[in-house]
Amino acid sequence: MTRSATAIILAADLRAWRHRLLKRSAARLIILALFLVFAAVFIGGGVFAAGVTAGQYLPGGRDTLLAGGFTGLSVLMLVVGFPTVIASFFVGRDLLQLVLAPVRPIEIFAARLLLAMGANLLISSILLAGVLGLGAGSGASFVYYVLAIVLIFIQVLVITATQAVLMSLVLRWIPARLARDVAAAVAGLAGAGFYVLWNLNLRQSFSPRSRPDLSNLTSVIHRIEWLPSAWPGHALSAVIAGEYGTAAIWSLFSLVLAALVMGAAAILYERTLLAGLGVFGGPQAVWRRGASKQIPVVARRGAGSPARAIARKDWLGYRRDIRRLSRLIPAFLFPIGYGLTFFRPGRSVTGFWTEIFLVAFISMFLSSALATPSIPSERRGFQILRMAPMTMWQVIWAKVMLTLPPVLTLTLLFSLVVATVGGGGIAELAEMAVLVTWLGVGFVSIGVSAGGIDPQFEAADDRRAVGLVGTFAGLGAALGFGLLSVGATALFVFGVGVAEGNVHIGPLPSSPTIGALMLAAGLVMAIGAGAIVGSLLWFANSRLSAYEGAIS
Amino acid sequence: MVPPATDGRIAIEAKQLVKRFGVVRAVDGVSFQVRRGEIVGFLGANGAGKTTTLRMLCGLITPTSGTALIDGIDIFGEPLQAKAKLGYLDEEPFVHTHLTGREFLDYIADLYRMPRGPERQQRMERLLGLFELADRNGELIGAYSHGMRQKIGLASLLIREPSVLLLDEPTNGLDPRSARLVKDLLEELAARGITVLLSTHILEVAQALCSRVAIIDRGHIVATGTIEELRTQAGSEKASLEDLFLKLTAGPESKELIERLLAPKP
Repeated sequence: MTRSATAIILAADLRAWRHRLLKRSAARLIILALFLVFAAVFIGGGVFAAGVTAGQYLPGGRDTLLAGGFTGLSVLMLVVGFPTVIASFFVGRDLLQLVLAPVRPIEIFAARLLLAMGANLLISSILLAGVLGLGAGSGASFVYYVLAIVLIFIQVLVITATQAVLMSLVLRWIPARLARDVAAAVAGLAGAGFYVLWNLNLRQSFSPRSRPDLSNLTSVIHRIEWLPSAWPGHALSAVIAGEYGTAAIWSLFSLVLAALVMGAAAILYERTLLAGLGVFGGPQAVWRRGASKQIPVVARRGAGSPARAIARKDWLGYRRDIRRLSRLIPAFLFPIGYGLTFFRPGRSVTGFWTEIFLVAFISMFLSSALATPSIPSERRGFQILRMAPMTMWQVIWAKVMLTLPPVLTLTLLFSLVVATVGGGGIAELAEMAVLVTWLGVGFVSIGVSAGGIDPQFEAADDRRAVGLVGTFAGLGAALGFGLLSVGATALFVFGVGVAEGNVHIGPLPSSPTIGALMLAAGLVMAIGAGAIVGSLLWFANSRLSAYEGAIS
Repeated sequence: MVPPATDGRIAIEAKQLVKRFGVVRAVDGVSFQVRRGEIVGFLGANGAGKTTTLRMLCGLITPTSGTALIDGIDIFGEPLQAKAKLGYLDEEPFVHTHLTGREFLDYIADLYRMPRGPERQQRMERLLGLFELADRNGELIGAYSHGMRQKIGLASLLIREPSVLLLDEPTNGLDPRSARLVKDLLEELAARGITVLLSTHILEVAQALCSRVAIIDRGHIVATGTIEELRTQAGSEKASLEDLFLKLTAGPESKELIERLLAPKP
């Protein structure tokens, strides 16, 4: 029997994936396995337990929880999935080979759809754990569990196909010269916009009260329960309630929707595959700037600066690379969403510390989005840097200096708004500015180092541009640095208060000696935080200096 | 042919270079010298160790043992000084696909700290004009053909005036006109005292351009010298470089292989 082209393509992709995995060292495979076990036990187990509890103690909220869970999953996949979808459907030399082969576009679409679903399926496993837990807590029948797996798979299929439809629509209706920019905007805004709106709705749930009030969250979900993303949730809650007819209708709706979206995606993909390869497959062919605008750049005087050259090159790269650009928009929108969600007006000790944690989080988030891929994103161009008369320290320094301004500007702007609206004075603003600068320098250095420790120069996607060692080193260092920095801040702030006799901490007497001891401990913690950053930078420099890979 | 401006000073020196990848010895004790202003051909079959040797000479790969000197400077001991004198063109040039040709040249010039100003700009314009890339202003390198990438790669070496060029298949993918331009350019550069180590599979190019050749086979240098010296070494006075190469890197006769391939099915 002749195998279908889809099966052949998938088998080849899976074989390549297996080779990539097995080519790693035994130590890395063990770390990966341990991480998966850890994630399955702690994250999956935690979500499952939460589901069991909700199923058992919130019988009236099952439908709301399931509808909200499925909708939340859809939004999350929309936020993070676009670069994968663009890469799977429109980018890659292997895709060019498939276009040349006697293979129908529908078969390419089917194979690529299943491949593109990989990342989304991974995300959906968290929802699956929760849904299964809720079923267990509700004492659901066997049908529930089977249907849950099927419906989650269908949901992932629908979202991935929707992303393909959106990209195909952009390609079909937007002129090629604008398509990349519009696609980046659609990719960035589609999910992130939803996300911010969602958070804005949640805001009141977390407004200052003695304890969180979830009534607003519930009312939001009630308002959106008609959305197709909520239908699988209704089907599952109907199964729990024993209403199998209703469950069948909601399941049927979900299936019909999936068929329609997939059909539309397949038809649109067939018509836009070649255009997509042209628009997304490589960099934009023609850059619409006249020569007159380029000449002044080279006509400037003074010695050439490698750091400035790298900065300009990186900026142009971001501007012209749709996948990287599409990832930046959510990265910039997330902090705003989080800020609006959790921000509490009013100056209080709790408010101040909430702001500090928020600032630390935003700084870390932006650094990981911008700094971590900065070295691996050099791709083959890294060899140019290696051949240039410059050290790896200079490369790292240049990357840190380039990433710092956007991270600091955004975080400082956020802190300024928070401190001003919160009624904080100049002193609080100054405290925040110092902390933001310290955190920004630290997190950006850690991010750049993580990319330098384990760069994957051949990765086409920034999210795969750092290997396991770099990812874990970066995460560990960021956590350590963040905790020590916030701890040091606490000791400085409270130490001054204790020394002045204004603050009392538990049984500790408020005296200048205790205050001085707290300040000294804060200093030690700050030095510890600095040492973490220094060690990581040193490690990154050693690894990059010893790098010898041939980058294809 | 413009006579090379060699003054007898050694510009490139490989000293017992060894590179081992696991159990494979890709390069096994390679030693040779290239004098200033010489064009030396570096020949070898696929997988013979040419690219690995070139990458060691330019500091992209650290040798398992041995060393290399560029204008007397140890590339592994004082890499920054040696790299400032060196230009390496890979068989797949290292370029940034999201930059235009002009932006890429500007980037390279800045990396090598070339002074900015009208002089640099004029040099850039001249190079873009020389390689017929000036009218592709505004087009990203990602949209360039292989030949155009090769040209922008060469231009990026010449923008900064290195004294030693290591070229891996520089005429690969070039149209005949551009290939001729590169050959003439290399001769002119050699006449001005620039040293060229040229790795190529096109033996006619090596025969026409190079004052000497070094042949590498399975990681070993099997012959070095002028064409005349190789003929004497091989004992065939009228042999072409192709004949000498095939003799020195002996393998199965191609005629026999073709016959085996095209033999009727049993």
